[in-house]
Amino acid sequence: MTLRSLFLGLVVLSAGAEKAGAQSSQFGARGLGFPLRPLSVRATGTGGGFGLFDPESALNPASIGLVTRLSTSFQSVQNWRHSESPAGSGSARDNRYPGIFITGPIGGTRLILALSASGYTDRNFQLASQDTLILRGQPVAVLDTLSSQGGISDLRLAVAWRQSRSVQVGLGIHMLTGSNRIASHRVFSDTAFSGVSEGSTISYLGFGISGGVMARIGRVVTLAGMLRADDRMHVQRDTTAIGTTKLPVTASGGVSFQLGERLRVAGSATYRNWSIADADLVKQGGIGSTNTTEFNAGLELVTSKRRPQQRPLRLGAFHARLPFSLRRGEDADETGVSVGTSFRFVADRAGLDLALSRVWRKGAPGFKETAMLLTAGVSIRP
Amino acid sequence: MRFGSRYPFVLFGVLSGAACQEKLATPTDCPDLCPGNSLIILDTVLIARAGLDSTFTGYIDAGSVGALLISSGLDAGEARAFALFPKRSDSVSVDLVSKAYTIDSVAFVLNLIARDTAAHHLRFILHRIAPTTDTATSFADLDATLTPATVIDSTVVADTLKSGAVRVLVQGDALQRILPIDADSGRLGVGVRVNADVPTGARIGSRASLEGGPQYITYVHVDVVDTTKRKQQITISADTANYLMQDPPPPPPGRLFLGGRSGSRMILRFSLPKLIKDSAAVVRATLELTPAVPIKGLPNDPGALQVRGVLLDLGAKSTPLSVVAATAALPTGATSVQTADLRDVVTLWFGPNGTTPTLLLGLSPEGGTFSRPEFFSTASSTGAPRLRLTYALPTHPGQP
Repeated sequence: MTLRSLFLGLVVLSAGAEKAGAQSSQFGARGLGFPLRPLSVRATGTGGGFGLFDPESALNPASIGLVTRLSTSFQSVQNWRHSESPAGSGSARDNRYPGIFITGPIGGTRLILALSASGYTDRNFQLASQDTLILRGQPVAVLDTLSSQGGISDLRLAVAWRQSRSVQVGLGIHMLTGSNRIASHRVFSDTAFSGVSEGSTISYLGFGISGGVMARIGRVVTLAGMLRADDRMHVQRDTTAIGTTKLPVTASGGVSFQLGERLRVAGSATYRNWSIADADLVKQGGIGSTNTTEFNAGLELVTSKRRPQQRPLRLGAFHARLPFSLRRGEDADETGVSVGTSFRFVADRAGLDLALSRVWRKGAPGFKETAMLLTAGVSIRP
Repeated sequence: MRFGSRYPFVLFGVLSGAACQEKLATPTDCPDLCPGNSLIILDTVLIARAGLDSTFTGYIDAGSVGALLISSGLDAGEARAFALFPKRSDSVSVDLVSKAYTIDSVAFVLNLIARDTAAHHLRFILHRIAPTTDTATSFADLDATLTPATVIDSTVVADTLKSGAVRVLVQGDALQRILPIDADSGRLGVGVRVNADVPTGARIGSRASLEGGPQYITYVHVDVVDTTKRKQQITISADTANYLMQDPPPPPPGRLFLGGRSGSRMILRFSLPKLIKDSAAVVRATLELTPAVPIKGLPNDPGALQVRGVLLDLGAKSTPLSVVAATAALPTGATSVQTADLRDVVTLWFGPNGTTPTLLLGLSPEGGTFSRPEFFSTASSTGAPRLRLTYALPTHPGQP
């Protein structure tokens, strides 16, 4: 990988970074949006359990330490969901592309570079409500819609040092950037009143740093850990600064077991002190935030020892508390199970990864959601 | 396919830029879930600025009236129309050869624009008048010449005809009544009046109207071998067509009014609160005008009120903004508050580059309508012109 290639990649990733996002949810209306995981399709198929160990995930900068050749990947998520709230229920679907990942070794060294764009939060939603106003002395029914498009992307430049086949360390620099295009519409049942709209763009900018380590102990056990600290997020509405939001420290640890030549299992736990953002979010008119924990576990069963990435079976599950509740004091969480596999072509130079996830989300009383997510990724190793 | 070291990056950059996103639709509950409030909708009533509302007259010259008015016993005023035709040629051209002709009949064509459809047996009566008649002639002088002795002919308009051509056919002995007079240099003057079962009126096309002014068609035959060319016609359009009106008494001072042959316009000025001008969006804007007396006019032919903004407020000479206008019908006899929705007009007042909050009101066509509304002004104790404004204020939703 050359510096010129990296620069070129950075430019094109930056151009698309704002659009990078993932599944939309009614639980993404608050706070900074619905939190996303910087996982590859492979890690998604294992419920995120392989996230700290996976070289194509942007979670642990040390996980790229064993990469020996240039690799690029791109993924897209199709989301079908059903939401319920006290006002009713409805189904929706959308398509997003939450991850672009490029990694490769720096020739002649033990350094590996990676450049990635992944979703940090997603804030795509459209909410509808009805009301009746008294206008000119008469009751007039109104229909309101409030929509948001956008989210925050996490652009990461990571470098890893391969100390040995057993130990790798990594460092990542993150830029968090993105925007929410907010649009509010109000239409009237009486057509003598013209519908009105307002729109604004809320933009975000923040920086962070992450460090990670991955160590294999013996032939079976591999440990991984990651610590990430993000600075304040600067928030603007159109061109006016409206405040800053402290971002959490993320601590994550995991263990992986190689059980024989065909089976590998892994699990991880992640903690984020999102409550540090609570005061800032409330100050900006929001509900606030709470600390989160997340647990992930999964396995990968290789069907071909010679080509381990050809049609493996991946299974996983996860449970996570969501940082931005719909009502203050009422927690929201997400639980999911997933299955996945992959296919390799052209002497393993090209690959297609698939993961299917079923998730259940619930929050304040009456608010719940189920979703089916089909994640597909394409990877190329020229 | 062979990939160089940099092409994958370019490929993924292009893919990321080209990826699309579907429209989302997530029904849910507000205000529980909504990150922010809906637009705030408020009502207010703006009274026209006191003492700055006026009526100005004299906007159109005598020859530019949008219609010719003819009436009989109407409250809105007595009106008689007249048309002057140039000398008719003494010959017609058949195969580029001038031929003398013999008159068979003559038709006067009047283009009916509007009438009181409830008035039956509307009759147009044509009189021969002096071709020296013009807008300087008084109504009384013209009316005095419209006697039975000067009648050319008349026709009853079918009760079902609301608009279109009305032909008054003159033939036989009646043709003697329109023979050219040498003293008039062959010019022909025709006066028009109407009558019906009830007091009524009609509007017919003027030279400035789309429908066109009166025409004078002479049907002739010539002595040629080709029988298909024997019947010819000579069509002459009026070179002068106008009307004279016995105007009703002028409104008392302090009232706003519209109408009249020379055209009149009302100017209303408003003061927009700064918050509304800077931040609001117009949901509905309704101008309310209170008639001081029942609106005079032709029954079943309401006046067409036109409301426009102005580019610059120069008083009577303000240039109306032609881009947008609001219209409203002013029914004859109405005593209730008359309204016109002017959202598009008022919207131009808003924002940093908003135009001056001034309205210019007129009737359409100017000088060509019987409608003569009189409204209370700001000088009146009640019923001053007012603008009922419903507007939206932003709430800047999207809070975290």
